[in-house]
Amino acid sequence: MSDVFPKWTNKLPLYLGLTVAVIGASAVAGVWYYFTPKYTRVGYQPLQPVAFSHSVHSEQLGIDCRYCHDGVESSWFSNVPAASTCMNCHKAILADDDRLAPVRASLESGDSIPWVQIHKKPDYVYFNHAVHVNRGVSCVECHGQVNQMEEVYHAKPFSMGFCLECHRNPESHLRDPDEVYDLNYRVDALKQEELGEKYVHDWNVNASQNCSACHR
Amino acid sequence: MSHLNKPDLTSASGRQYWRSLDQLADTPEFREWAEREFPAGAAELSPDFQRRDFMKLMSASFLLAGFGLTGCRRPVEKIYPFSEKPAGYTHGVPGHFATGLSSRRSGAALVVESNEGRPTKVEGNSLHPDSNGGTDALTQASILSLYDPDRATRFAARGRDLSKEAAYEALDEAIATASVNRGRGVAFLLEQSASPSRARVIESLKRKLPSAIIAEYEPVNFGNSRLAIEKVMGQKARPQYHLDKASVILSLDADFLGVEEDSPRMIRDFASGRQLESVDDKMSRLYTVEALMTLTGANADHRLRVPSSQIGKVAAQVAARLLVKAGQTSGPLLTALQAMGSVDGVSPAWIDECANDLFAHRRAAVVLAGHRQSPEVHAIAALINEVLEAVGSTVVYRDDVAPELAGIQSVTQAVKAGSVETLVIVGANPVYNAPADLEWAKLIGEVDKVFRLGYYEDETGSLSRYHFPAAHYLESWGDVRTSDGTLVPVQPLIAPLFDGVSELDFLARWLGDGQSAHEIVKKTFASESKDSSENAWKRFLHDGYFKSGARASKRLTVDSASLIAILGDSAEAPSSERLEVVFHRDYSVDDGRYSNNGWLQELPDPVTKITWDNAALMSRQTATELGLSSGDLVELTLDGRALEVPVWIQPGLANATVALALGYGRSNAGRVGGVDGDTVGFNAYALRTSNSAHIASGAKITKIEGRKFEFSCTQDHWSMEGRAIVREGNLEQYHKKTDFAQNMDLEAHASHIPHDEQGRPKGLYSHPYDERDSSRSDVHQWGMAIDLNRCVGCSACVIACQSENNIPIVGKDQVGRGREMHWIRLDRYYAGDLELRKKQKPTSSDDLQPTFEWIDDPQVVTQPMLCQHCESAPCESVCPVNATVHDDEGLNVMAYNRCVGTRYCSNNCPYKVRRFNYFDYNKRPIKKLYLGPLANRSEHEIDLVKLSKNPDVTVRMRGVMEKCTFCVQRIQKAKIAQKIKAGATSDVQVEEGAVVPACGQACPAEAIEFGNLLDPESKVSKLKKNDRNYSVLGFLDTRPRTTYLAKVRNPNPKMPDYQAMPFTLSEYKDHMGDPTVEHHGHHDDHGHHDGDSHEDNHETAEVGGSH
Repeated sequence: MSDVFPKWTNKLPLYLGLTVAVIGASAVAGVWYYFTPKYTRVGYQPLQPVAFSHSVHSEQLGIDCRYCHDGVESSWFSNVPAASTCMNCHKAILADDDRLAPVRASLESGDSIPWVQIHKKPDYVYFNHAVHVNRGVSCVECHGQVNQMEEVYHAKPFSMGFCLECHRNPESHLRDPDEVYDLNYRVDALKQEELGEKYVHDWNVNASQNCSACHR
Repeated sequence: MSHLNKPDLTSASGRQYWRSLDQLADTPEFREWAEREFPAGAAELSPDFQRRDFMKLMSASFLLAGFGLTGCRRPVEKIYPFSEKPAGYTHGVPGHFATGLSSRRSGAALVVESNEGRPTKVEGNSLHPDSNGGTDALTQASILSLYDPDRATRFAARGRDLSKEAAYEALDEAIATASVNRGRGVAFLLEQSASPSRARVIESLKRKLPSAIIAEYEPVNFGNSRLAIEKVMGQKARPQYHLDKASVILSLDADFLGVEEDSPRMIRDFASGRQLESVDDKMSRLYTVEALMTLTGANADHRLRVPSSQIGKVAAQVAARLLVKAGQTSGPLLTALQAMGSVDGVSPAWIDECANDLFAHRRAAVVLAGHRQSPEVHAIAALINEVLEAVGSTVVYRDDVAPELAGIQSVTQAVKAGSVETLVIVGANPVYNAPADLEWAKLIGEVDKVFRLGYYEDETGSLSRYHFPAAHYLESWGDVRTSDGTLVPVQPLIAPLFDGVSELDFLARWLGDGQSAHEIVKKTFASESKDSSENAWKRFLHDGYFKSGARASKRLTVDSASLIAILGDSAEAPSSERLEVVFHRDYSVDDGRYSNNGWLQELPDPVTKITWDNAALMSRQTATELGLSSGDLVELTLDGRALEVPVWIQPGLANATVALALGYGRSNAGRVGGVDGDTVGFNAYALRTSNSAHIASGAKITKIEGRKFEFSCTQDHWSMEGRAIVREGNLEQYHKKTDFAQNMDLEAHASHIPHDEQGRPKGLYSHPYDERDSSRSDVHQWGMAIDLNRCVGCSACVIACQSENNIPIVGKDQVGRGREMHWIRLDRYYAGDLELRKKQKPTSSDDLQPTFEWIDDPQVVTQPMLCQHCESAPCESVCPVNATVHDDEGLNVMAYNRCVGTRYCSNNCPYKVRRFNYFDYNKRPIKKLYLGPLANRSEHEIDLVKLSKNPDVTVRMRGVMEKCTFCVQRIQKAKIAQKIKAGATSDVQVEEGAVVPACGQACPAEAIEFGNLLDPESKVSKLKKNDRNYSVLGFLDTRPRTTYLAKVRNPNPKMPDYQAMPFTLSEYKDHMGDPTVEHHGHHDDHGHHDGDSHEDNHETAEVGGSH
């Protein structure tokens, strides 16, 4: 019999098998990585230029979120406070503490403190803080228990599914506007259901699921 | 991490690979990352490390670096908060500041939006007592000039760098010398300004430097009316017209809806005089006598085509008729007027009946003369207004308080005589736009010390010894007096981006008293308001105006002896051997001051629809006589000067007239406006001399054989072909059947197809809202209504939309391929006499249009066309990726991230309003689009582009479809504001007027209304109930949310050119039947039109001329 198939074809099944294995492994690796919270930066906790503890300020001292993030009720952004805001208190308290050196330097020089951004949505998403906090959506819904964080980390995945989950059932997430900034507020599930439905009805809540709600 | 040095990589091998690392290694992100993730490894890097060590260290993690930084994990970004927050500032909440824009002797009160310190959008200030918040296209586009990368960004000496210190040293030396010599040897050349503070500085300058020449030059100015008033009324005054009070208007070459002074105000008043809310409303009538086809002519009820030089005769004839009617049957004035003669080819009946109509509406009639006309014509217009008892009602004369300054001639003579040592040019660009006979390009070389404050290093700037970069008006302190006498502040919104100097600061330096522009403006305000308190000043800056009585109206009368004295010899009528050239202000680039503004260059001329060019416009008959067709290059000769220019045959132009727009053919305007060797358009100034500012006679044309010029015209099909796209009728038809517009087109004829309970044709598919009720919001349903009776076609909306929605320009080449990006366009159709139309063989070739006889005296209609937000949108059903979908409030939305660029939606859109990004227009230079990533704009340019963008709107990239969004960002903003206000209540419906789209906000005619259809009291709901309301291509059952209100004309039945119905309607009637009578069973007789040429056009069922 003549050489219809050259000799190397003997190894063809092996090559094919290897190729399939590589592709399969890549697919698994891809899904492993991209479909897990790491991709949505959950757990991301960069080192900040100032060792600021939310847990001390918010939880222990009971300072309201809005003392520092004062734009949250009127703006798209919940602003990071100016150095002067920190110094309102720290002029008197821990006035010479080393940990506050960058803050004092910022106020003196006029340069900003380069905080590392943790929570970030893509540029083509238009998210408005003000409309959420004024209508009974608490900070905790997206940012987690920041009040208990020694150092802030990314607590929830900011994927589109995450946004939509809440927009699909606002009843399970709405609360009395007076409780929005109480990050420790708890209510049992049944009660939440009842209250949530009442809020959705009374406030004419229509959490839009249309593209135009966030993309424009 | 100073020890992390860049590796030295000079070897050729693996260069590509290493180059990216080289860049990467130098970025702060990389340093940051290296430090954080591998602190131990990073510490090992020493200043004397070897490449090999570096590689060893990094190669393992290099793959991850690519992944980690650019792929999976987003780059580390910083938040830079204030060190001390300014009071009253909230990050993310845009500020709005009142300011003003001076334009020649008039100006506009504005409100400018500022996002994080960047001015992003200009709007009119509706608080101003004489403004409805409307603006013109030029004002809307003025913000782009702020971010123009080609603006003067340095101090320069004849095109070379000069240090700021050296420039000021030379200036201060010149100032010192001038002070000693009391101004001998100094000449100032300024542009006109409406700033009272500048007037004050000039008065001081005159006192300080009495021997200096202070001159003003504007290539286009509105001075002839003031000149005429001074001559025949003996006082310095300017007329202000109130067209809203007029029943009959006669325009003598006055394009008050387009290029005359204060056009937004005039459009507003004209539109309110044309208001037709109900059948009882009275509507004004407009007669136009003109040579060019202007916007005013396009909106006229009766239009008379007369060469520009002959318009004085028509004016005199009208005046003579009116004098007789008013009882003055003899006298020297009447004789002098009658002696001016008549114009060949103008029917005396036209003039008679026009005069009769004017006279019948005494006190409510008005005559306007255009700025291109001589003082003589303006004086006759003033006389007519007096005879018509219009003064005090439709015309008011107000004090003209501008300082008396010399003209460019006196500077020219002084320079020629060698008596000028120091020439100070502030803003003006005489080398480009001074009369050609003055030869400024040569003249400027004769003066050694030329100081020039200019926004561009342009023709004049590059020849000036010392060039100072001028500040934009959004970077300067100043003030403006608007035409009603109100004082408006000009306050800076941003510190000068390139160290620019404001005009006021530059001039005040010559006074040597150290006063800043800010102080001068403050003082002007204090003396005008008689209140020097800080509160009054703050109030002034906040409101953006101070209503002062500085310019009271006065009663003036025409002195007939002085009038007779200026009535000159009548000009000879032009012929094809002795052509008349009309130099006119351009709708887009003005006199050239906006040449380098891409938005305006790409704005189609409202009448010709040509972009990026001007042309020698001429009539069909003249072109035929000269053997020319559109696109032919010709040599136009006038008084021994010649210009090569292409021909464009324009419907409705007077015969033997060549119209040339000013402002093109720049030799040093910038990369958009043209530089030598790459010019945009043709320089009309090359033919323009001192004694023929606007109208020149005796021109000749010779064809340059074998050369053609390619125009980029956005609408090259002229006729609507009898389709009911723009629906119009005369008042007569409207009175006969107020809802005639709803009785047109197939939707009214289709009684045999099933209808739904609302009487509309039943669609093939069920509506998504009907299928699933939860998909429909019961709070807001948005809709728009456009009143075609108000729209004049000025195109301010096009630029407003471009500014609001981050719409790029694409360049002439791409426009020529039909790829312009405007989300809203102005469709302009011509219609002609039906009998003449029938003479022409039906043809599919647009090239033959300019040879048809019916285009000589066309009627014109304009229609803003934008996404109609169809409820049953054809685009949505063909999108394979659901990128264009409906939202619950009736918007047809685009999710850019989903779009894969199939363009099926655009193909399926009957209105042709979708725009596709063929290139990354923001990232690439418009002339190098085809090089793709090989040609990037420089970092500096991209930074400026970024500064100019509206942060609320996504900047689209290549491969994405886009279109009008109904300004969804403004809707969301209003909804959010309302929800914040509502808090824990159910009050979430936004109030009427809270959402105004950019087009509607800019529209001076208030033609575009937008609002919530669920609110029965909203303006838009009411308009949609109006009988004139109709949907374009309604028979397709797309159910557009944008509807139009039919146009109504108001012709005079006694006029010789009276048409019983508009041309478009008679064309429509010819094959579809009369819409003013009910069609009972009319559909039966449709069959016999099958052979008709117009049927073809029905099948395409698309709007628009070209694409």
